[in-house]
Amino acid sequence: MSDARAQILGAVRTALGPPREAAAIAAEAAALLETPELIRPRLPNRSLTDVFAERISAPKIGATVERVPRLADFPRAVDRYLRENGLPQAAALQPAPELLELDWAGIELHKGMAADQAAGIGIARWGVAETGSLVFHSGPDTPVLFNFLPLHSVIAIDVRQIVAHLEDYAAAAAGPPPRNANIITGASGTTDIEGSYVRGAHGPGFLHVVIIGDTPI
Amino acid sequence: MGEAGTADTFKANAKAALADRVLKVAIDRTTGTAETKRAAAVADFAEFDGARERSRRLKDHVIANLEHYLLQFESNARANGARVHWASTAEQACEIVVGICRDARARSVTRSKSMLGEEIGLPHALAEAGIERVETDLAEHIIQLAGERPSHIIWPAMHRTREQIAALFKAKHREPPRNDDPGAMVESARRELRDKFLGADVGIAGANFLVADTGATCTVTNEGNAELTATPPRVFIVTAGIEKLVPSTAHAMELLRVLVRSATGGELTQYTTFHCGPKRPGDADGPDEMHIVLVDNGRTRMLTNGLREMLRCIRCGACMNHCVVYRQIGGHAYGSVYPGPMGAVLTPVFEGLDKSRDLVHACTMNGRCAEVCPVMIPLPTLLRGWRDRSWREGLEPASVRSGIGVWRFLATRPRLYRLATRFGLPAMRLFSRRGWIRSMPLAGGWTEYRDMPAPPARSFMDQYRARRPNA
Amino acid sequence: MAEQQATRPAVGLFVTCLVDAIRPEIGFAALQLLEEAGCRVSVPERQTCCGQPGYNSGATDAATALARQFVDAFEPFEHVVVPSGSCAGMIRHHYPEMLAAEPAYAERARTVAGRTHEITDYLHTVRGFRPSGRTLKASATYHDSCAGLRELGIHAQPRAMLGALDGLELRKLDGDNVCCGFGGTFCVKYPAISNVIVDEKAAAIERTGADLLLAGDLGCLMNMAGKLHRRGARTRCFHTVEALAGMASGPAIGEAR
Repeated sequence: MSDARAQILGAVRTALGPPREAAAIAAEAAALLETPELIRPRLPNRSLTDVFAERISAPKIGATVERVPRLADFPRAVDRYLRENGLPQAAALQPAPELLELDWAGIELHKGMAADQAAGIGIARWGVAETGSLVFHSGPDTPVLFNFLPLHSVIAIDVRQIVAHLEDYAAAAAGPPPRNANIITGASGTTDIEGSYVRGAHGPGFLHVVIIGDTPI
Repeated sequence: MGEAGTADTFKANAKAALADRVLKVAIDRTTGTAETKRAAAVADFAEFDGARERSRRLKDHVIANLEHYLLQFESNARANGARVHWASTAEQACEIVVGICRDARARSVTRSKSMLGEEIGLPHALAEAGIERVETDLAEHIIQLAGERPSHIIWPAMHRTREQIAALFKAKHREPPRNDDPGAMVESARRELRDKFLGADVGIAGANFLVADTGATCTVTNEGNAELTATPPRVFIVTAGIEKLVPSTAHAMELLRVLVRSATGGELTQYTTFHCGPKRPGDADGPDEMHIVLVDNGRTRMLTNGLREMLRCIRCGACMNHCVVYRQIGGHAYGSVYPGPMGAVLTPVFEGLDKSRDLVHACTMNGRCAEVCPVMIPLPTLLRGWRDRSWREGLEPASVRSGIGVWRFLATRPRLYRLATRFGLPAMRLFSRRGWIRSMPLAGGWTEYRDMPAPPARSFMDQYRARRPNA
Repeated sequence: MAEQQATRPAVGLFVTCLVDAIRPEIGFAALQLLEEAGCRVSVPERQTCCGQPGYNSGATDAATALARQFVDAFEPFEHVVVPSGSCAGMIRHHYPEMLAAEPAYAERARTVAGRTHEITDYLHTVRGFRPSGRTLKASATYHDSCAGLRELGIHAQPRAMLGALDGLELRKLDGDNVCCGFGGTFCVKYPAISNVIVDEKAAAIERTGADLLLAGDLGCLMNMAGKLHRRGARTRCFHTVEALAGMASGPAIGEAR
């Protein structure tokens, strides 16, 4: 198929001429990121954590949220969530070291994620206040499917990891990209039947976010 | 619902669509909701106009520097371990995908909705190759069960009412829904598809963006099906048009803001995923191989034939949700993969203008599509460009040519024109009764459906001259 | 403003082909309002059509021939005023492009285009005109014709002037910014589609219960009036300038004169 490659690049060259210097193109591209305040929503004048929590529990996103002081409080928050929702005291746990070392007494933990898993527990790398999003980067301790298979997803996020805007996440994550970066905004949903919004299409039907720590950076 | 026609049978397709009352109900429900939600999202986003303008500039920048970005993307995607393929035509693209499936000895593939896949005819190519195809997007699942084509680029099954979908699921699902509540139907589809996701050999998706500086493909969904298509299978294939490039992840974010608001009225899709190559050592999950197929299929021609602005399109569907024609006839009547205003501009590129002449004419040029377009594509101007070409290439029917010829002959001769109105108006009045013409020769297109106000006995110009002889 | 009034600008009135043939009242209303606004108005004899039927059919050559004729006829005037957003938009936006490559016309087309105004915009924005002391005891709803709305930004101007009519109650039309399905030649090339569009429009107009339908383009008005009449509605249809000129007590579009 190298023929097609030559053909396509040749047609582009014929239409547009030879490419300009990379530096000139890069400068133009950088200019397209300038004055971001003109092209993105202004956030309410409150702490990022407050804005993030409001967004994530707004009707459009429809997740539930709670705050606890320390990561060590996360298991109790999960325990409460499972009880309040009438779920078995069992869940698949993302194999992240900081989660594995917590005290999960009272919750039966599964290493793997079953196809019909009721609940999954995980921790997000970043939160984005603008959109109420959680960000995950795949890796040995972050299986991608953990965020997609369970019906209930319970996710911890450290307040210090909450950034204001989508671009701030891009900047924070600069460097070699992960294999898979997932920006997750609420539970799985669909509007495919007459435009009406229904949750739990393929991924989780319920997202519960536990914000860890009180003081934002 | 019947067999869908093709673009060259547009008038008949439209007639059939207009006779289908249930279709109209379905269209109104979805496009009405879409319009309301978009309006609310835009009202909530004071910077929307700035974001649109920036998005337009961004897309223009990418298209103007396409070679640079294509090569940068290719090199970074390869560095991530993805295999990059190039396809000039739809056929080549399908051959590449089917070839990858065969090499993987795939029996079943899962697909996450991709309009490019529809454009290149991938469902058909997979069927011909004897490979089982499982559509995972709920709407694509619906139309796969029904044996239909998408009728909208965001809501492919928008032509079906909930009652019709419930009947379809009852007939085809192993554990069908109890009623026609959308929630029950979504649950039924979830049950039906779950094991198919996890058992597929190959997953195929499209891309909303190709990120040049990381080599990532970016796919957005609300259901999470793209991720379930990408991760479990051994082989993951992304097909994408060459215009999908963006310089960096931050640039993709700019476009996402306008894309999602314009499409569904959300602020961000539930799942926005960047894929960079296959599973890495130690990764908990992920595919063993990732392939990216870069597809031209007419796009490089659009760089030179006056359609370059169309390459900005980010496939949000707002133009069709706000199109008076689409909202009456729906997507299937266009007989093309892409319906509505953006489809009317694109279809002649794929199918030839001679086969899609009606599509470029069946537009009132009201401009609402361009007004809502998040990347400011001047859709009516591009459609008029096609009309101009159709005229120059002699594709317009003789009746239109002679009509325009007579009009031109008279209108460029003002004195003769006055004479013609002096005779024409009284002649028209012969057909009128109490101020209205209910039918008149040569005016059937008008009077079949509405009355025509009768003209005065004398034109404005004649009356004016009589009143002010010296003006 | 005051200076312009003192000098009484020379205005060329282009009535448009539809007004010329179907509804001269609109031309006379325009004439009257322009004179009330302090203009010296001429109606050049060499006017016919702006060229849109050809332009939108792809017959660019034919439309360009009309553009040249128009420039020749209207370039002597300080301002060119048109009682149609669609024709004014054609002149303002498309003439300069169509004639850009013709040295004999390019500059002149740009000049004429820059001087061309849709009438409500001209009266309201350029002349600061208000119909004072005029009464119209009726309820009315207003449809924004697409080309005027989107090519020229005609939205507030007609509403502001209509609001100055004594006794007129303006009622919001649901979907007032949605096309009526006229679309020039569209309505006869695709009559069945045009019909369902205008049928929805007519239903929305009827729902307002207004006595009058007002709009700024005769093409759209003929379409809507014709459909309303076929549906048996009693809504009376006028061009905005007819209402502003105090002519809405006379026969409406389609009423025997």
